[in-house]
Amino acid sequence: MNFVAIKHVTFRYARRQPPVIDDFSCTLNKGEVVGILGASGSGKSSLLRLVAGLELPEKGSIMIDGMMMVNDGLYVDVENRGVGMVFQDYALFPHLNVVENIAFGLHKLKRAARKERVQEMLELVQLTDYAKRYPHELSGGQQQRVALARALAPKPSILLMDEPFSSLDASLKTSIRSELRQILRKAEMTCLLVSHDAADIEAICDRSIRIQKEMAEATA
Amino acid sequence: MLPILYVLLGLFRPTNENWQIVKQYLLTDYVLGSAKLVLFTGFFAALLGVVLAWLVVGYTFPLRRFFRWALVLPLAVPPYIAAYTYSTMTSYTGFIQSTLRNQFDIKLPPGTIEIMSSKGAIFIMTLFLFPYVFMLTRTFLERQSASYIENARLLGRSRLSLFIKVVLPLSRPAIISGVMLVVFEVFSDYGVASYFGMQTVSTAIFQTWFGMYDVDSAIRLAAWLLIVIIGLFVIERFLRRNRQFNATTSQSRPLKPQQMKGIAAWGATAFCSIIFLLAFIVPLTQIIVWTTWTYHKIWRADFIDLMVNSLSGAAIATAVIMIIALLSARTARMLSSSLAYGVSRLMTAGYAIPGAIVAIGVLAVFIALDQRLSTVYEWLGKGEGALVLSLSLSMLITGYIIRFMATGYNAIESGYEKLPRVYTEASRTLGRGNTKSFFKVELPLLKGAVITGFILTIVEIMKELPLTLLLRPFNFDTLATRTYQYAIDERIYDAALPSLLLIGISLISVLLIVRLEKEK
Repeated sequence: MNFVAIKHVTFRYARRQPPVIDDFSCTLNKGEVVGILGASGSGKSSLLRLVAGLELPEKGSIMIDGMMMVNDGLYVDVENRGVGMVFQDYALFPHLNVVENIAFGLHKLKRAARKERVQEMLELVQLTDYAKRYPHELSGGQQQRVALARALAPKPSILLMDEPFSSLDASLKTSIRSELRQILRKAEMTCLLVSHDAADIEAICDRSIRIQKEMAEATA
Repeated sequence: MLPILYVLLGLFRPTNENWQIVKQYLLTDYVLGSAKLVLFTGFFAALLGVVLAWLVVGYTFPLRRFFRWALVLPLAVPPYIAAYTYSTMTSYTGFIQSTLRNQFDIKLPPGTIEIMSSKGAIFIMTLFLFPYVFMLTRTFLERQSASYIENARLLGRSRLSLFIKVVLPLSRPAIISGVMLVVFEVFSDYGVASYFGMQTVSTAIFQTWFGMYDVDSAIRLAAWLLIVIIGLFVIERFLRRNRQFNATTSQSRPLKPQQMKGIAAWGATAFCSIIFLLAFIVPLTQIIVWTTWTYHKIWRADFIDLMVNSLSGAAIATAVIMIIALLSARTARMLSSSLAYGVSRLMTAGYAIPGAIVAIGVLAVFIALDQRLSTVYEWLGKGEGALVLSLSLSMLITGYIIRFMATGYNAIESGYEKLPRVYTEASRTLGRGNTKSFFKVELPLLKGAVITGFILTIVEIMKELPLTLLLRPFNFDTLATRTYQYAIDERIYDAALPSLLLIGISLISVLLIVRLEKEK
């Protein structure tokens, strides 16, 4: 049985517009890192938002770890899905420092356990020396690692990454790609990653899926 | 919104005898009085505001940087305070005439300076309200006009034609918004008009209510005024429609001012100085002098009560406003864009509605509520026909909330606009529910906006005169009502201390606005 199953999902932003995602299906196995490739406007980000529960599909179903998340009659709220997400520009809370950001999703743990888990995550992303810094005091690559640690900390069943390299310098990309790959392997994380750059996906993912959309080109 | 609807419904109720009298003998005077005041003040304030804004933005001259923000300061002086200050200063025993008489032996024929007239009212209103136009136009020109104006200069336009052909049409949306603020303030005014004995619709509402005890006619007057104001509101939207010139160039490079030299430069400085002196320094100095005369007499224990009254009433109302504003701004954010737009328009419409209208609506609704609740009161042993709600402070506070919701809501809304949605989304993917996300993420990030909104709103409320006069419980005085009371009792010198305090309080919010602008 597949770990994640997305079946016949259709999604549109407004009723009168053509669908952004039209009857899309795919599956992921446990521990697999899958990349989704497509031009801008092809609905890649919308797909991630659907899996996370930030958007509601018009049709179709999404199942994660044997549990139905959304279908015709059912909708599990974002906060109850146990899904981790790294946003395109990271969305680190500017009023919290690195430790507080990482601990944000650990509110259900006891204090000691929380502290331990944060420490673990800091070591995983190698930011132990930056624990008390605020997001604006970090470089782009460091911010990305904090975002990753924050998403991984509550041990989500699946990690979603939206254009994880778009806000980084080209010169940094190569080193960060391999770093990310290592972290994901170490954490044995099932991951769905979205990018417009085939090289990103090739460097990190086990396999890739291409989303094609004819409508998207019409706007260009 | 209920009280406002109630006022509008007043149009459909049958008229009484008194209304016939009002209509036949007085209505024309009221309408003409208001129209005259609004038209002239609007025109002069626009003229003064735009010319000063263009001077400060387009040219360099000595003290330009200072005037850039100093010319906003007159907003800190409530016009009714300016009114009695100026009228006393220019009276026979006032500072100006007595100095001329005693030092220079110049005797002015009576009536040379007659501030207690409709001309005087226009003068005062213009001088203390023009900063609305100045501020909005200046900000607009500084941010959005650079490329157009530099182009026009390159194309060899002279100074005057640049101003008329480019600056004026470009800044039209900003000018209209500014003038509308002035117009709404003038409609709302009660203090200046009543002190100068002018007949306007606002003063008429007071007269029919307190003079003739005819609430129905007062409501009818208020309803007509409301119709006019709603009409103006619609016209404003219409005039600004499709007038967003900023679409074509995305970069907002600041405009580099042109060098002004010699007489022209000093002329500009002199002009700005005169306006600044007249609209801020002179009245302020006069009030400070008067305060030193009467300080010991007025600063007594009951004065502390007065400040506590002002502050507590305003603080309660402001707190409620901020909570409602936060809730509704957040709801609007989650709705579809057109619905959200509707909510925000509705929430911010209150600033256009004069205090007197809000007051009447609130009073009518509260009396109706008291009638409904009379059985409850009887059961509580209060006796038949008891008025509980409509004699309590809650009535005044409700009035404040309706009138000043816009100030608080605008601050929160602009805070939310700067707050990307991803923060909330990130929080929710990390397992925090909707409410938790609000308290843990949105609220801390909105802290600045909430504090700003709180200060701006509380200051506005403390300055408010007509609403407080109409809705306050018996024996409840605020700084504003006491100042006004002293002034109409011709105890002008005694009014100086509370006036000075009010100006000081207003100054906080004006300086805050100036600072916020710099940050943007």
